[in-house]
Amino acid sequence: MIARVAWLLARPGTSGAAASLLPVTAFAIVTSLLLTVLGGAQTFWTWTDDFGVTYQALAVVALVLLVVPLASLGGAAARLSARRRDDRLATLRLLGATPATVSALAVLESVVLAVAGALAGVVLYFALVPLIALIPFRGEALGIDGVLLGVPALAGVVAGVALLAAGSAVLGLRQVVISPLGVRTKQEAPKLHWLRIVIGIAVIAIAFLMMSVLQVAGSMLVILAMLGAAFGGTIAVLNLIGPWVIRLVAQSQARRAKTPARLLAARSVLESPKAAWRQVSGVAMTSFMAVFAGTGIALLGSFGEAGDVEAMQLFADIRTGILITVVGSFLMVACSVGVNQAAGILDRGELYRSLDMLGMPTPTMDTARRRAVMSPLRITAIGSAVTAAVVMLPLTGAAIIVAPLSLAVIAGVLASGIGVVWLGLLATKPMLERAAAG
Amino acid sequence: MSSFVIEASGLSKSFGQTHALAGVDLQVRTGEAIAIMGASGSGKTTLLHCLAGITRPDAGTVGFQSGAGRVEVTALGERERSRLRREAYGFVFQQGLLIPELTAVENVALALMLNGMPRARAEEYGRGWLAALGLAGMEDRRIGQLSGGQAQRVAIARAQVTGASVVFADEPTGALDSATSAEVMQALLDSTTGQGRTLVVVTHDADVAGRCSRIVDMRDGRIVGERVPGVTA
Repeated sequence: MIARVAWLLARPGTSGAAASLLPVTAFAIVTSLLLTVLGGAQTFWTWTDDFGVTYQALAVVALVLLVVPLASLGGAAARLSARRRDDRLATLRLLGATPATVSALAVLESVVLAVAGALAGVVLYFALVPLIALIPFRGEALGIDGVLLGVPALAGVVAGVALLAAGSAVLGLRQVVISPLGVRTKQEAPKLHWLRIVIGIAVIAIAFLMMSVLQVAGSMLVILAMLGAAFGGTIAVLNLIGPWVIRLVAQSQARRAKTPARLLAARSVLESPKAAWRQVSGVAMTSFMAVFAGTGIALLGSFGEAGDVEAMQLFADIRTGILITVVGSFLMVACSVGVNQAAGILDRGELYRSLDMLGMPTPTMDTARRRAVMSPLRITAIGSAVTAAVVMLPLTGAAIIVAPLSLAVIAGVLASGIGVVWLGLLATKPMLERAAAG
Repeated sequence: MSSFVIEASGLSKSFGQTHALAGVDLQVRTGEAIAIMGASGSGKTTLLHCLAGITRPDAGTVGFQSGAGRVEVTALGERERSRLRREAYGFVFQQGLLIPELTAVENVALALMLNGMPRARAEEYGRGWLAALGLAGMEDRRIGQLSGGQAQRVAIARAQVTGASVVFADEPTGALDSATSAEVMQALLDSTTGQGRTLVVVTHDADVAGRCSRIVDMRDGRIVGERVPGVTA
C-alpha cells in the first residue's frame, strides 16, 4: 500500500518537477563535494615518511571542518525533500493514514530522491577528477590515480547520503505525525530556552581554559585531544547559541521595524530562528575557520624563517589545504542558501502571488527576503569570528590575531563568505519574480 | 462624471488555446455590490483580474473612475497598475492569503505601510478596523491562531484599511461553513457598500451572490445573463 501511495505522490505533475529536482540537485552537490574532499585526501594515506603523518593529521582536521557545512547542506537538502511533501503527508494524516504509513512514506520518498541525487553526484565527481588531480601537494600534482576513489568508498558515500536523508525525513516529519493540524496552520512560533546561552558561555570558558594549559600538556596525543575537544565543543556551542542570539536580535528588529521589508524580514526570522541559523550556519563554520586559518598562516610565517626546505614545503601545502577547505566550505554555504531560498520561494509561491496582486512591489518582497538572510548572516559571521578569536587567544596571543596578515585573511574570508551568500540570494531572485507574477 | 466606477469593454484574454474571456463588456456602478457567477473555467476570475489590473487583457479596455479622474487601467504599465492596486483597490481571497508570520494587526497595517504611512499610525488604523470587524483583543494573534472566519475578517480589514474605493473578492467565503460564510459576507458588505464603496465578488455560492445588488452570469468567457437577486426574469 505504501509503495502505491508513494508512487501516486511521486508521479510527475502531482507536485511539479521543481519539487523533486531541487532536492535531487542538492544531494548531487553534497555527494560530489564529499567525494572530491575524500578523493583529494586519500593520497595523503599513501605517504609513509615522517611528514606523511602530519599530512594525514591535517587532512583529518580539514575533513572535520568540511563535514559540518556538508552535513548542514545535506540536512538542508533532506529537509527540502521532506518539506516538499509536508502538506500532502499532513493531508494524508487528516484523511486517516496511520503515523507509521506517513513516516514510511516520508522516509521512502526522501531516500529515493537522495539516492538519485547521490548517483548524479558520483557522475559529477568523475567529471571533476581531472581537475582535482591537478592540485599540487609536496611539489607535485596529486594525479588521477591518487584522487580516484574505489567502489567501496563510492557506495559508502551514496549509502551515507541516503541515511542522512532518511534521518532528516524522520525528524522533520515528526511534527506531522504528532499533530497534522499544527503543521498545516503554523499556530505558534517556536520558543528557544535561555539555558542555551548559559551552556554556551560555559563551554567557551572551558575551551579557553584548555587552550591556556595546552602548552603544558604532557604528550602530543593529549594536545591533539584537547585541541579537538575545544574545537568541536566550540563549534557545537555555536549551533546551540546561534539560533538564540538570532531570535533575540530579530525580536528587537521586529519591534523597531519602520518599513514593510524590515518588518517582514524580522518576523520571517522569528518564525523559525533555527531555520534562519541553519541557512547561514555554514558561514559560522567558515568564519570560525577563517580565524584559525588567519592565525595559522601568521604562525607559519613566523616559523618559515628557519629555512628548512621540507618544512617550507609543508607550510606551503598547509596554505593550499586551508585555501581548499575555505573554498569548499564557501561552495557548500552558497549551495545551502540557494537550496533553502528556492524551497522557501516554492513554499510561499501562492503568498508571493497574492502580495503582488495587493500591489506589493517585487523589490519589497526581495528586500525582505534578503534582509531575512543577511541580518542573521552578519550576526553569525561576526559572532563566530569573535568566539574563535577568544578561544585561540591563549594559544596565539593577541599579537598574531591582530597581525595585519591575519586580519587581512579573516576580513577577506568573511567578505567572500558574505558575498557568496549574497550571490546565492541573487541567483534565486528570478524564481521570486516568477512566483510573484504567477 | 460617470456613475460607473469601472467600465470594461471588449475584454478578451487567452491562455494558450484556452479563451478565458471572449469579448466581455461590463459596467460597475459606484457603491454597488456585483457578483460574478459561473462554473469553473467560465472566466470569472480572469475577468476579476482584468478589472483589477492584475492581468492585462489581450484586447479591450478597462477604465477606472477615481477621485482624480478617469484612469485607463489597461494602458498603465506594470508598476503603475501595481500602485493602483495598492492605493485604490482592496482584495480578499478565498484563503485570506495573509502573511502567516505577521500578527493580525501587522497584516492590516502592512497595506498602509506600503503606501508610506508610519508604522505606529498604520497599526492604530489597523486596530480600529479589526475592532470594527469584531476582532478587538485579537490584534496581536498570529494568523494560525485565528479561525477561518476570523482570518477572513482580517483580510477584509486589510482590503479596507487604505480606504479603497473598490474591493475585489475572489470566493471570499469559499473555505468557510455556511454560518461563518454569512457573517463574513455581512462584514464585507457593511465595510464596502455600507460605506458607499464598491464590491466586486467572484463566487460559486448562490447565497453569497444573493446578498449582492446585481449578479452577472458567465459561461465560456462571455457574460450570458444579468439579474437582480430576488427578482425573477
